[in-house]
Amino acid sequence: MRLLLQATGLELVKIFSKWRTYIGFATMAVLVPIIMWLVRRYGFGIEHEALNALGGSFEYTGSLANGLLVSYYLMNVLWVHFPFFIVLVAGDVVASEGAAGTFRLWLTRPISRLQVITSKFLAVFVYTLAIVFFMGLCCVGLGMLIVGGGDLFVFDKGILILAQNDALLRFLLAYLIAALVQMTVAALAFLFSTWTNNSVGPIIGTYAVIVVSLILTVLQIGVLAQVRPYLFVTYFDVFFMPFADPIPWGEIALKLSRLGLFVGAFYLISVISFLRKDIRT
Amino acid sequence: MFRGLRVNKPFLFRRRCGLKFAVAMAETDQIVLQTFNLSKRFGHRWAVADLNLAIERGQIFGFLGPNGAGKSTTIRMLLSLIRPSRGTFAFFGKNIRQHGYKIYQRLGALVEKPDFYLYLSAARNLQMLGTLTGGVARRRIDEVLEIVKLNERARDKVKNYSHGMRQRLGIAQAILHDPELIILDEPTTGLDPQGIREIRQLIVSLARDHGKTIFLSSHLLHEVEQTCTHMAIIDNGKLVVQGAVHDLLRETDFFVTEVQVDKPRKALNILKKTDWIRKVKLSDGVLKVQIDEAQRPQMVGLLVSQGIQVAAVIPRSSLEDYYLSLIKPTGLGR
Repeated sequence: MRLLLQATGLELVKIFSKWRTYIGFATMAVLVPIIMWLVRRYGFGIEHEALNALGGSFEYTGSLANGLLVSYYLMNVLWVHFPFFIVLVAGDVVASEGAAGTFRLWLTRPISRLQVITSKFLAVFVYTLAIVFFMGLCCVGLGMLIVGGGDLFVFDKGILILAQNDALLRFLLAYLIAALVQMTVAALAFLFSTWTNNSVGPIIGTYAVIVVSLILTVLQIGVLAQVRPYLFVTYFDVFFMPFADPIPWGEIALKLSRLGLFVGAFYLISVISFLRKDIRT
Repeated sequence: MFRGLRVNKPFLFRRRCGLKFAVAMAETDQIVLQTFNLSKRFGHRWAVADLNLAIERGQIFGFLGPNGAGKSTTIRMLLSLIRPSRGTFAFFGKNIRQHGYKIYQRLGALVEKPDFYLYLSAARNLQMLGTLTGGVARRRIDEVLEIVKLNERARDKVKNYSHGMRQRLGIAQAILHDPELIILDEPTTGLDPQGIREIRQLIVSLARDHGKTIFLSSHLLHEVEQTCTHMAIIDNGKLVVQGAVHDLLRETDFFVTEVQVDKPRKALNILKKTDWIRKVKLSDGVLKVQIDEAQRPQMVGLLVSQGIQVAAVIPRSSLEDYYLSLIKPTGLGR
C-alpha cells in the first residue's frame, strides 16, 4: 500500500512536470475572468431570454445576472469542451511512457504492474479532481468577485430562487459530482491509453466516443432508447441535479453508481490490458 | 499455456503438448540467474527457443549474438517486460512465477537505450527510481552520479544530455540500489572511445571489487573478450555455446600462441614431434601453436636448446574468428 501511494505521488510529479497539464488550468485562469468581466461590462443575454420565455408573468427590476448565474451557465462546458483538458492528460499518461520507452525503467523495479497501472489511474483521478475544482473555484470565486454575488435564479421548468449560501453549497456538490462525471471520461481515455504508444489516439478516440454518444442520446429515434442506458454520456447531466428542488438524491445516487460502474469497467479492462502488454519499445 | 510449479528444489514443467520433463535447479546459491527452456514466439517465428542459461555469482557473463538473434527479447523476458511463450527463469534460485516482482529489488538493469523522463533532472529521475526500490539516500544518488561522472550535471534536465551522458545515467540507475546482479544491454552504444573504456573498467570493477554479477549483452566481440569471464552465444534464438571465455577459446583453433623464430620450418618439425603441444602450424612464417599457458616457457626452452632463436612469443585469442565459425552466415537481410 505504501509503495502504491509513493508510486501515485511519483505519477503526480510526472503529470505536473509536463506543460500540457497546465493547458486546462491556464485556459480557465485566462478565459473565466474575461467572461466575467464581459458580463459585468455588457450584461448577460441569457437572463433576458429566460425571462421572456416566462411570458411576462411577473415583473422584476434591476439585474438577475450575478456571478453565480454566470457560473451556473458556464457549467455547460462540462459536456463537451471541458473533457478536452481531461483527455489531454488521461490519454497521455500510459501511452507516452510506452512511446518514450520509460516503462523499461519503471517496470524493472520491484513494483508490480498492477501497482503501476493503479498508481497512474489514481494520479489521473487526482488531476481530474484538481482541474474540476479549479474550474469551480475560478467560476464561482471570480464570478462573485468580478460580477458580484446574490441569489441564484435557476431557470428550469420554472424559476427556482436559491439564497447565496444555499447556492454555494449546491455548487460545491455539483462540482464534486462533475469531478466524478469527468472521471468517467478520464477512465475511458486512460483505457485507450493502455492500448497504444501514441497519446493522440486516446485523445481523438475518447472524443469520438463522447460526440457519437451525445448524438445518440439526443436523437429521438425509438430504437436508440434501448441503447442509451449503456452510454455513459446519458448520465452526464447529473451535475445539474443539485440545483433542482428538492434535490433528487435517489436519482443522483443511481446515475453516479452507473457512472461508477463505467469507471470500474474501464479501469478493469485497463488493468487486464496492461498486465498482458508486452513492452517492446 | 506453460505452467511451472516447484517441488522442493527441482522444477517440474508441463508443456502444452503434455510432455513432462524435470530440470533440476542447481542446489547451490551460487547460481544467480537460470533460465529453463525460455522461449518467445512472435507470430509464427520463435525469437527465442528453449534457452537454458546459468550464470553464477561474480561472473561477467557476455551474451553474444548477431542483430535479431534474440538477445534483447531474452533480456526483456528476464525483466518481465514481455511474457515468455514457454519456459521460465529463476533469479537467485527463486522462480519468478512464484516470487514475483520483488526479486527485482536484487537486480539492476539497463535495457537497450536508456530513456528517462526528459523533463526532469538526472537527480530527480534517480530519486524517483530509487523510491520504487525502497528509497535511496541522497548521498547514494550523488555517489552513483559521481561514478558515472555526471555529478556536475546532476541538476540539468535529461533532455539537455547527450546520448553518451544518457547512457552513463542508464548505468547509474542500474547500480543505484546496489543490486547483486546487473543486466546491461549494449551499455557502450553511442559512447566515445574514452567513455567505452570507462564503462568497461566500471563493469570489471563492479564484478571484481564489489562482487557484482554482470550479465552483459553485446554484439561487440572485443568488448566481451576484454571484459567477460563467461559467455553464451545465441543465433536465431537458439543457444549455440555457453561457458568460460578462456575455456571455450582454448579448445579451439582460435586460441594460439604465435611464435616468431629464425628457422620456422625446423621449429615446426620439432614442435610437431612434441606430445604436449596440441597443435602447431606455420602460417606466413609465424608458428601458431596450441599449448597450455603454463607450458610456454618449456616450449621456448626446447626451441632454444635446438639452436633456434626465438624472437617473440605472443599469446593470441580470436573470439571474432571463433564467433564467426559458430554463427551461420545469413547475409544482410537477417
